[in-house]
Amino acid sequence: MSAQQTAESTNTMKKKILPYLLLTPMILIMGVLVYYPILATFSYSLKKWKLTAPADIHFIGLKNYIDILQSESFWYSMENTLFILVMVVVFTTICGCMVAMFLNIDVRGSGILMALSILPWALPPYVNGVLWKFVFFSGYGFLNKLLLGMGLISHPIEFLSARWTLLLVVSIVVIWRSTPFMALVCLAGRRSIPSQIYEAARGDGATRTATFRYITAPLMLPFVGVGLTSTSVTAINVFDEIVSLSGYSDLGKNILMESYLTTFEFLNFGKGAAMTYLVMFCALILGVLYLRSLNKEVEY
Amino acid sequence: MKKRIISMLLCVVMTATMVAGCGSKKTDSGSSADTATSGEKITFMVPDWGVPTDDQLKEFTDETGIDVEIAEVGWDDIREKLATGASAGKAVADVVEVDWSWVGEFEAADWLEPLEVSDEDKTDIPTIETFTINDKVLAMPYTNDYRLSFYNTKQFEKAGITEEPQTWNDVLEDCRKLKSTGTVEYPFALSLNAEEKTSTCLMWLAYTMNGVVWNDDGTLNKDSAMEALEYMDTLVKEELVAPEDKTSSGMDAYKRICGGTASFLTGPTSFVSRSTNPEECSVIGEITPILVPGKDAKATETMALPEAIGVTKASKNKEAAKKFVEWYTSADMQERLNETNSAIPTRNSVLEKLIQDGKIENAGAMLEEAKLISSPFPNGVPSYYAEMSSAMYNAINKMALGTYTPEQAYEEMASATEKLAKE
Repeated sequence: MSAQQTAESTNTMKKKILPYLLLTPMILIMGVLVYYPILATFSYSLKKWKLTAPADIHFIGLKNYIDILQSESFWYSMENTLFILVMVVVFTTICGCMVAMFLNIDVRGSGILMALSILPWALPPYVNGVLWKFVFFSGYGFLNKLLLGMGLISHPIEFLSARWTLLLVVSIVVIWRSTPFMALVCLAGRRSIPSQIYEAARGDGATRTATFRYITAPLMLPFVGVGLTSTSVTAINVFDEIVSLSGYSDLGKNILMESYLTTFEFLNFGKGAAMTYLVMFCALILGVLYLRSLNKEVEY
Repeated sequence: MKKRIISMLLCVVMTATMVAGCGSKKTDSGSSADTATSGEKITFMVPDWGVPTDDQLKEFTDETGIDVEIAEVGWDDIREKLATGASAGKAVADVVEVDWSWVGEFEAADWLEPLEVSDEDKTDIPTIETFTINDKVLAMPYTNDYRLSFYNTKQFEKAGITEEPQTWNDVLEDCRKLKSTGTVEYPFALSLNAEEKTSTCLMWLAYTMNGVVWNDDGTLNKDSAMEALEYMDTLVKEELVAPEDKTSSGMDAYKRICGGTASFLTGPTSFVSRSTNPEECSVIGEITPILVPGKDAKATETMALPEAIGVTKASKNKEAAKKFVEWYTSADMQERLNETNSAIPTRNSVLEKLIQDGKIENAGAMLEEAKLISSPFPNGVPSYYAEMSSAMYNAINKMALGTYTPEQAYEEMASATEKLAKE
């Protein structure tokens, strides 16, 4: 083999190895911080593992999953999760799109308006929950004072004492926090539509409704999809707001709270890990939707 | 070529940084178990109210040569941190806070080192009983909290009630009178929210009514629990407790007595000092601490909810840690911690001295009640306490919200307790 051939062969090898070398740090980071915990959690979920019984840790297969799926408490939490999910997704999308449309109007001080509209998103979820508790509190809540003052009610309404009103309040609080993100995403989508398309539509005599239906809506759809899926994941992972509004009560608990209580309150790491997997599975379905919406082609 | 070298270098640097980041470093700020191997330094994990002053710590160090590093952690987080550390076989600290409600699970998980305590100390500190399982003392109580009753004398007088309530029926009648005369709308301060304090409310109520909460096999005593639940239900139905007590925190419910919106409370001993603090109480001079009522006369026992400190089993400096526990819970330190941290002594001798010296004002029946402390758990606090308490407070909360009858609430908590006891 000539020296030139040897050099070429070395070069080819280097070209083949280099990408892998460059990817190594990220693969290691992802492996250690993401994939290893996922696999470890799965192995925990197949064990009977209660911290208060260290001598009784052993493999039990899918028993944790079966127990969870047969438990009334899990399905109660699942119902609560679905209620919050539907409410949050529907109303965040509507409110987010509306806010985006308003923010798109170019007026003086629109920058300040945009900054103000982002504020709820910047609030820590727990603080957000505490603030709203002052509004809905049964004893001295702002809303009850207002309704009593206006003579609309004679006794304070116990918003946080009944399951569905509590879930409604939780949903409102989460909608309040997630609307700004949805609005920003929609605004980005709206502003990415070239003005020439609107000019052409106007030239063709398109009405406002037709312009919205055939241009704005379809072109914004992928962006709404991103916001919608992100909102869905937020709605599944609600925790702080529920705790700040109703503590660790059974009344408003969702599957994430059920998982937290099982793992860290009752120290049942095996069952807690199985529950975490179920939560992750729900979030994964929505994550897939999120990725698919990113790759969707739009026709207009 | 140059670019390639730079890329390779960056790649190596990133990998090295990551590996270094993932590695553990044995320094002074590392795990306590590592630092404790020197035999001169221990870590003490405690909530803010248990942190000794720098001067107190310096005295301990001068006396013993042991340095103490304080890890101030929120009360809620201590148990979680200890559990996470212990599951990895690590000691998060050499000396840790041990709440009365954690001791059962800590014992089951074998996280605590047994302590040697003299008979004299055992007599002086009745709450040691709570931290004793299978004749082993697992933690030493450092701050006391037991159930004591308080009533607003002025409001009682205004409603025409001249005598202090002796029994729970007296309390009920008095509250009815306070409400019907328009003196106070919701005279009884009671925790009904879905939280730990609500479970303990049922426990002390049943315990002071009948002297029993649990049977020897760990199941709920039906007669006693039902009587307590029905009493609570009556208070709710007759609107003698405030509607917000069902959803606000237990402490907020208790604090109503300091705001003058409640006339009777059976609650933490900290309300002795709260009732004389102008920053916390708007009815100073009106609240009197009294013995907890019972069924036919004053109750002959009360429940304690103290906090203690224990030595972790994974600690590598157990002897130094035990010395610290001994020093921290000594009579002298309890007296000083009352002065610096407002901690209520767990030693009855110290409590008596502080009351006699006038350092604890408006003590009322505080000392007398302290002598009645005993544990309602016949076999010690169970390892499944957290899960059992969760089932209890949720069932009581549902009863308070009108979803359950007392019978349904009892059935739910009894079946959960029985299932847990069998496991």
